[in-house]
Amino acid sequence: MKTIESTKSGISKKPALVLVVLLSVLASCTSTTVDEFRQGETGIENDESVVILGRRQASDYETRAEFVDCVGDRMTQGANAISIIPEQEFVDAMFPWFEPRTAPLRTQDLEKLMAEQVVADKMDEFGVRYIVWLDGFTETTDRSGSISCTVGPGGAGCFGFGSWEDDANFDARVWDVGTFSNVGTISTDATGQSYVPALIIPIPLIARVEANACSRLADQLKGFVNGG
Amino acid sequence: MTKLEQYIGRYIRQVAALILASTLTACGVSNVVIDGSFPTPNISKLPLTVAVLYDDALRQFSYMEYSETGQEEINIESGQSHIQLFNAVLPAMFDNVIEVQSQAEAVSSGADAVFIPVIEEFQLALPSKTRLDVYEIWIKYNMRLESAEGDYIADWVLTSYGKTPTETFRSNEAAINEAAIVALRDLASSFSLSFSQVPEVRDWLNSQ
Repeated sequence: MKTIESTKSGISKKPALVLVVLLSVLASCTSTTVDEFRQGETGIENDESVVILGRRQASDYETRAEFVDCVGDRMTQGANAISIIPEQEFVDAMFPWFEPRTAPLRTQDLEKLMAEQVVADKMDEFGVRYIVWLDGFTETTDRSGSISCTVGPGGAGCFGFGSWEDDANFDARVWDVGTFSNVGTISTDATGQSYVPALIIPIPLIARVEANACSRLADQLKGFVNGG
Repeated sequence: MTKLEQYIGRYIRQVAALILASTLTACGVSNVVIDGSFPTPNISKLPLTVAVLYDDALRQFSYMEYSETGQEEINIESGQSHIQLFNAVLPAMFDNVIEVQSQAEAVSSGADAVFIPVIEEFQLALPSKTRLDVYEIWIKYNMRLESAEGDYIADWVLTSYGKTPTETFRSNEAAINEAAIVALRDLASSFSLSFSQVPEVRDWLNSQ
């Protein structure tokens, strides 16, 4: 009796396992390139922290807050974790000095800004050693195919095939608050193709382009800030 | 009538009711009341007592966006959020801030100056019209500073801008609210940082 049960369970698990493997293979069609350009020495003490801020000066796009949070969250995890100040908490505490129109665009602007006593005091309070400026966006291109769905008294169903390509491009500029200098830039470019085949039920096979860009950029940034 | 026919009849009635409800919703004006919180600016205070006068036009300010066919589409109420913003910003800029209801009250309050903000223009850009993936809001203000007796001190124009990207599963109303909050924060930052650099204000401050 026990043998029969285990055989039945084995049979039902196999197609599910194959489907999971197939989905993960298809869904992971993402390629990511990370470039690092170092301009100065880095390193961080236990009582120091990093703030990651999104650039929002461009007229046609803005760095998504969710991407900034994703990079920050990832940097706080694992070995050599870094203390990250949440973006909104920092921007609110520094108000009105880090708004889209007033935020420093160059390290010289940061130096001028730090001459304001209220700004310098707040920076000290947070223990900010590095400011990381994230700039970029994810673009969707090459949309093709179509899916049509119908609903009738007997039920509903879809048929068709759709695909698109996502391209995520992000730059991270690291400013040293102690020396008012740009110590390096890390660029990430991730691309991936997503598919949605539909045979009665649409099955989305989504390339995790932005998530991959986030994890690779965060890992590289963590190593960079730690001086690796 | 068989059970199947009853079931189909009920199903058709439910679908028809759903289509009718969504059509009626699509025809109505959607109302957005701007709601958000504003941080207190970290700036040095000026040693002044300033009375602030919010007129009815500001208190009840609303903007109507029309569709391309001229139909009323979105009504944006932002009067109260403007007052909330100024109430957060002004006490960080001046030692003492008093809200007054009239110029006469300002005289008796003993204030050094009376601040009167006025919204002159409000513009909304929707992704459906601009074909861009952002919601944008522009607001033009006329800021007036008078003595307690009503004499002219300064009068200057400020513009603020806010945008927010389109996102899946976020409603038009939520995106407009977000863009408006960004615009109001922009107003607060430029107003608080540029106040003492307005030439007439600077001259008046030097004479104090």
